[in-house]
Amino acid sequence: MNSPGNSRSAISIRGLTKRYGKLSAVKNLSLEVEPGEIFGFLGLNGAGKTTTIRILLDLLRPTRGQAFVLGCDCQTQGLEARSQIGYLPGEMGMFLDMNGQEVLRFLAGLERREVDPRYRQELQERLKLPDHDLNRRLREYSTGMKRKLGLIQAFQSDAPLLILDEPTEGLDPLMQESFYELLADVQKRGRTVFMSSHVLSEVERTCRRVALLRKGELALLSTVEEIGRLAPRRVRIFFSQEVNVHPEFPTGCQVMEMRPQEWCLRVEGMLGDLVNVLQGLPIKDLEVEEPRIEDVLMKYYREEVV
Amino acid sequence: MKGFGILLNYSVRRVRTLVLTMSVILGVFQVFLIVIAKSLQSTHAFEQIGALMPPFVREVMGPSFATFMSFGGMVTLGYFHLAVMGSLVGLMIALATLSTSEIEVGFMDLILSRPLARHRLLTRTVAIILLATMISLGMMILGTWVGLRTLAPRDVEWPSAHLIGSLALNLALLMLCWGAVALVIGSSVRRRAVAGGITGVLALTTFLLDYIARSWKPAESIAWISPFRYYSPLDLLMGLPLSSRNVVVLVGIALLGFGLSYLLFSRRDISH
Repeated sequence: MNSPGNSRSAISIRGLTKRYGKLSAVKNLSLEVEPGEIFGFLGLNGAGKTTTIRILLDLLRPTRGQAFVLGCDCQTQGLEARSQIGYLPGEMGMFLDMNGQEVLRFLAGLERREVDPRYRQELQERLKLPDHDLNRRLREYSTGMKRKLGLIQAFQSDAPLLILDEPTEGLDPLMQESFYELLADVQKRGRTVFMSSHVLSEVERTCRRVALLRKGELALLSTVEEIGRLAPRRVRIFFSQEVNVHPEFPTGCQVMEMRPQEWCLRVEGMLGDLVNVLQGLPIKDLEVEEPRIEDVLMKYYREEVV
Repeated sequence: MKGFGILLNYSVRRVRTLVLTMSVILGVFQVFLIVIAKSLQSTHAFEQIGALMPPFVREVMGPSFATFMSFGGMVTLGYFHLAVMGSLVGLMIALATLSTSEIEVGFMDLILSRPLARHRLLTRTVAIILLATMISLGMMILGTWVGLRTLAPRDVEWPSAHLIGSLALNLALLMLCWGAVALVIGSSVRRRAVAGGITGVLALTTFLLDYIARSWKPAESIAWISPFRYYSPLDLLMGLPLSSRNVVVLVGIALLGFGLSYLLFSRRDISH
């Protein structure tokens, strides 16, 4: 029996499984995305990110489980669910004899909500894709231009939920910056963004929460802040004179380098215990590097590869 | 309905060059056949060609042979010439696999990520198949009419409008039948070339089966599976009415095929 999705969630995924014969692309995946948040969906190639996204769009049918978009079952209420989604696929599959204008007009015509031409114009300006480029055949487009066109078609209906598969793939750094600004703006207006990405610095910068898939299973679901806390920090201690003691460091501390007047440690968790150990030593300076969530996520990635 | 109208409009724009080019070529082909028929008629060559025909051809064509070896018979050839039938079946395959090509390219992802029901995509394809059938056969009939009006000698008997109409109707049903078969196959595979290839091989095999069965008795027992068996232009040439059995079988295959396509397409995964 269908149970209604959590109507307060922008996306609600429950026990989702997708099998292709003996291969499980997604295994018993459950997660909730709150309205108004930018949610990062991470994983290596083949981890099941795109499969999950395609189930949300009812392009693929799940073997088991359910997915809801703003309270609508993606399968049984697919039209209602999709009327609230703006979607950017990982690969923009288009007929190259069409021009950009035709693609945008055609896709806008399939929407239930009217596309505001002023908003579309604004998107064009922000992403630097003027009308004369839109009037060119797609076979003349570069990878970056196709990506910009993809972003415009996804954003143009100003849908409450944006599902973006690798949104900055192929964009130059300036356009990436414009895209991040665009994300910030849509979030301010209460839109929800669910985006898959390989670029960890991008996720760190834009997302509030992330889920990491590993071989189709949820390996990590956390806020970026929390991951930052889990991330190991590099601590450098400079002494005013040579120190030849070898103290017993607390759990989570790993010695990277030990010279008479400089130690370099890798610390996971709080620094309090380390500070206690250092008491009484002739400390001249202490340098603590900002934690990088990449370090935590890379650990998960490496475990997958192993 | 707004979304469907836009989808149909986009689809018509995508296929219009193919359909119009093919229709014009087939229309011109009808005129060309009338030019040949006029030439043969004026040189009294029908009798000579008839005498040169090998016996097995006479056997295959049966009593319709004599009717065929005339001005009127030559004019109607445009409705069952192998090249015409092959072109029309090919056209149907190209149109029926429109959705398959959209899946293959990835454009279907963008279309179906919008609030558009899947069945509308097949309804769009069926509408295009019907439209293309009407346009192509309409152009053929127009070509025949224009050719007869402008080129036919005064002293020859024209094929009746009823005969041309019956031939066109029977051919249209055959086209719809193959359109439906291509749609079923296209609704189950990811590659347009695979759908087109399978349907093409199937069409060729069943055509040969029907052809062989007309002169080789053992093949007759299974020839009923060939849709071409239910397209009988030579019977129509002989003045027989369009067989209701042929109409029922071809319409039945078309309806069954379209229905099955809806079922398969609604259940399939869209992945390229």
